[in-house]
Amino acid sequence: MTNETQKTDSPPRWADWLLERCCAPHLLEDVQGDLHEVFYKRMGQVGVAKARREFAVAVLHYINPFFRRHKPTHYSSPASADSSLLTISMLRNYLKIALRTLAHNKAYSVINVVGLSIGLAAAMLIMLYTKDEVSYDRFHANNPNLYRITSRELTPAGKLEHVEGNTGHFQGPKFSAGIPEIQSFVRFKAERKDIKQGTEVKSQEVFVTDSSFFSVFTFPLLSGNPKTALTQPRSVVISADMAQKQFGTTDALGKTILFRDSYDEKSGFEPYTVTGVAQKCPQNSSIKFEALIPMMVSREEMADNNNWFNIFQNTFVVINPQTSHREGGIRAVEAKMNQIYRADAQSAIKSMAEQFGFKSKVEYALQPFTDMHLSKDLPASNGLVDESNPMFSYILSGIALFILLIACINFVNLTVARSLKRAKEIGVRKVVGGGRLQLTLQFLGESFLLCFGAFILAIVLVELVLPTFNQLANKSLALSYLFDVRLVLGYTGLFLVTGFLAGFYPALVLSSYNPVETLYSRFTLSGKNYLQKSLVVLQFALASFLIIATLTIQSQFNYLTTMDLGYDDKQVISIDKSNLKRSEAKLLTEELLKDPNIVAVAPKNGGQWGTVAKINGETQLSFTYETVAPAYLPLFKIPILKGRNFSPEMPSDSTHSVLVNETFVKKAGWKNPIGQLVNFWYDKNATYTVVGVVKDHHYNALNQKIGPQLFTMKPGNSYGKAFIKIKPNTETASLQHIEKTFKKLFPINPYSYKFMEQENLKRYESEAKWKQIMLFGALLTIFISCIGLFGLATLSAERRTKEIGIRKVLGASVSSIIQLLSTAFLKLVGFSFVFAFPAAYYAIDQWLENYPYRINISAWTFAIAALSAILIAFLTVSFQSLRAALMNPIKSLRAE
Amino acid sequence: MRRAFLGEFEEIVLLVVAACPTEAYGVNVWEDVQQQAGRSITMSAVHATLYRLEEKGFLSSVMGGATAERGGRRKRFFTLTALGVRSLQEIQEIRSRLWQAIPQGKFQLITG
Repeated sequence: MTNETQKTDSPPRWADWLLERCCAPHLLEDVQGDLHEVFYKRMGQVGVAKARREFAVAVLHYINPFFRRHKPTHYSSPASADSSLLTISMLRNYLKIALRTLAHNKAYSVINVVGLSIGLAAAMLIMLYTKDEVSYDRFHANNPNLYRITSRELTPAGKLEHVEGNTGHFQGPKFSAGIPEIQSFVRFKAERKDIKQGTEVKSQEVFVTDSSFFSVFTFPLLSGNPKTALTQPRSVVISADMAQKQFGTTDALGKTILFRDSYDEKSGFEPYTVTGVAQKCPQNSSIKFEALIPMMVSREEMADNNNWFNIFQNTFVVINPQTSHREGGIRAVEAKMNQIYRADAQSAIKSMAEQFGFKSKVEYALQPFTDMHLSKDLPASNGLVDESNPMFSYILSGIALFILLIACINFVNLTVARSLKRAKEIGVRKVVGGGRLQLTLQFLGESFLLCFGAFILAIVLVELVLPTFNQLANKSLALSYLFDVRLVLGYTGLFLVTGFLAGFYPALVLSSYNPVETLYSRFTLSGKNYLQKSLVVLQFALASFLIIATLTIQSQFNYLTTMDLGYDDKQVISIDKSNLKRSEAKLLTEELLKDPNIVAVAPKNGGQWGTVAKINGETQLSFTYETVAPAYLPLFKIPILKGRNFSPEMPSDSTHSVLVNETFVKKAGWKNPIGQLVNFWYDKNATYTVVGVVKDHHYNALNQKIGPQLFTMKPGNSYGKAFIKIKPNTETASLQHIEKTFKKLFPINPYSYKFMEQENLKRYESEAKWKQIMLFGALLTIFISCIGLFGLATLSAERRTKEIGIRKVLGASVSSIIQLLSTAFLKLVGFSFVFAFPAAYYAIDQWLENYPYRINISAWTFAIAALSAILIAFLTVSFQSLRAALMNPIKSLRAE
Repeated sequence: MRRAFLGEFEEIVLLVVAACPTEAYGVNVWEDVQQQAGRSITMSAVHATLYRLEEKGFLSSVMGGATAERGGRRKRFFTLTALGVRSLQEIQEIRSRLWQAIPQGKFQLITG
């Protein structure tokens, strides 16, 4: 380009351009001005062409580092506005504008604040829950040196067969004596004892434990000496609650309580002296006791080497802190434990192999005490309470995160969508010198302001729903738990993250608007708003995922609770009587049947027994071992497929005959089961003949497969309970009669009754809990998604007011306008299924895997979920669409 | 602290600014410098010197009001600082001391 071609009376443009490039901005104005001044002067003296040439030459002289990199040092350009970024007046202005915008758009503000606060409240509740779960058993001063002795069984080939949290009398004292790193041990066993309360006899769970209990665990005593409280036989430490119940005061030291062994028929009530009153056990403790009595192990028991294999209780040990902190220290202790076991238990291992064919290898290990609560393989069981599935925490956290995410999405979506209205404000701010950073900070600040409001509301919400939540989650959490340093930090973090997440994107987008476009009203966001769309899709994908999960859990629950169990549990009452002798059972039956309302009585062994026997000569089969009376099968209407039931007319049945179920036959591989032999080889080779095959029925909960089952009438096995079938609608009269009879026959036994039908339903409590939690989660998610969609629909209808007016003037019908406004949103909802369905299918399939008896995943679940999601979305959107469509076009078109 | 060095051209520019009857800015300083020096000097040299003098603290500047004749661009007006004035006076003193130290008749001897 040459300057001669353009004969204008101004300096050559390229030279100006070059100067602007080469000269530092703070110098440019006066340098350029001076050059131009000279140019115009010279133009008058020597003509345009010469002046232009001179100008260009002069400019070329400015191409040097001095002008280019000249930074202001002593003087600053007045254009820099950064200093006014955080002045008080500016902040006041921000706050005023923020409050005004909020007040001006009430619906929008309410949607944002309510949605966010629900999300935050859900997150807070879950944080409370997980904090409580994780805090289990951490209050003991001996942590982290507190361990439980566990064991695992390995096959001779070295394959893991079974892990076991229980131990016997030997492990604690023997390991402790042989390993100096083990400072102390305590054995802990649950027992039921009958207790006399005034004239009444009640069954009470008591724990038998070593005298080291109070030095190992941190359970403060209100009165009594923790060191000596459990050293003397016939002493008892009770909880404050129990003392209150028993004596009406917590000042119970030295008083006596009468206990009786529930299982030993000969024992009478014996006095126990109260040697300590303990504070109530903390809510987050796996050990919750009402009464503790000292453990007395007889010398004979300790001498019998076979007791290495008699395991029935928990044993805890305290490891030397240096050892437990050292890397591999615990390993070393475990190795020593196994050394001691192999040396000491030699004869027991041999006799187990000979007597029972038990060839598995046992290895001992240590489990940290604080790991028990959430352990799946080695749960807190057998006297330890509140075992919990960590899955629960994960799922809950997932749902909370979903809800929080959706609320944040709402915030982002609405803020960006509504920003159109604020485009002018942003334009003006930019024109008068607002920097991008300032705008970003302003919008982030507004987001934090909203978040703060939501936060306050969330705390109120948490306070309101905490009782319901406690009931659902089986906890006793209180809001005061919130005021814990770490939780407060957590909540503050949550607040900051939410405020930032929700405000960052809008702040970035809004601050990037071009002021010229916004001020000339040439600005539209109607183009491809991919982010907004994908956020809506994400929201509805999450919502429909939860709908599907809820529906599946619901139908699986229904399936479990209504499934035919294979026996009739209606109008069957069960009463417990430990050690029910044959003669007593006969007497009880006769007495009960005197009432015409009672149809049948059938005694059975207490609890569930399992044993092993040889069939087909050598094959060993383990099975459920039921000791029953002839009346048992008819009472439950369990059909006999082959052979016959036990018969009272055949006395030999009790000593020679057994019945088995279908699974037993299948496992045994019998073609012709009647007449086959079952050999209890370890019991003096007692052999029984199969006389009948019973139809399979679900004697266990439905999350367990039906296993082999064998019925016997062996006189040596004692009964533990009786089932009583009554006529329908005679519950009150029958129960009265049963209670009277029981108290007459067994005055010193505690009486309690259960309805079988209710007991069977109780087995699905965890499913019921899941169902409720999922339902709540789904409802909340849908609700928040909907208010978000509602906000978007409102804004979109507002934005298109003119368009709708023109359409109406040209003759569009109301329905076509509704369609126009709704289809865009419905398409997004439909699109969300593409993501939700595969994920949901995978998740529910995984969940249903846990159940041997499960529903099939049906297409209907998905169809219903899709339909309801679309319907809900449509109802939400159509409300706004309808309002827009019914509006008088004059109103919308008049003002321009 | 060593005083900033004042070069010959810098001294001339500084003196021109001091001598300027009106407010001194790029163009009239440039014209005066050329007139006084009697030779052609590029404007960039004058600008660079002015800015350097300002940096050294001999001059200070303010932007003037908007103007009509140069595309609305403002002028930068330079004035001497106290340091600038003191430096010029010191140089003047040194010179006059030296002038007085020249023995009488020496110049006539040389120029003959």
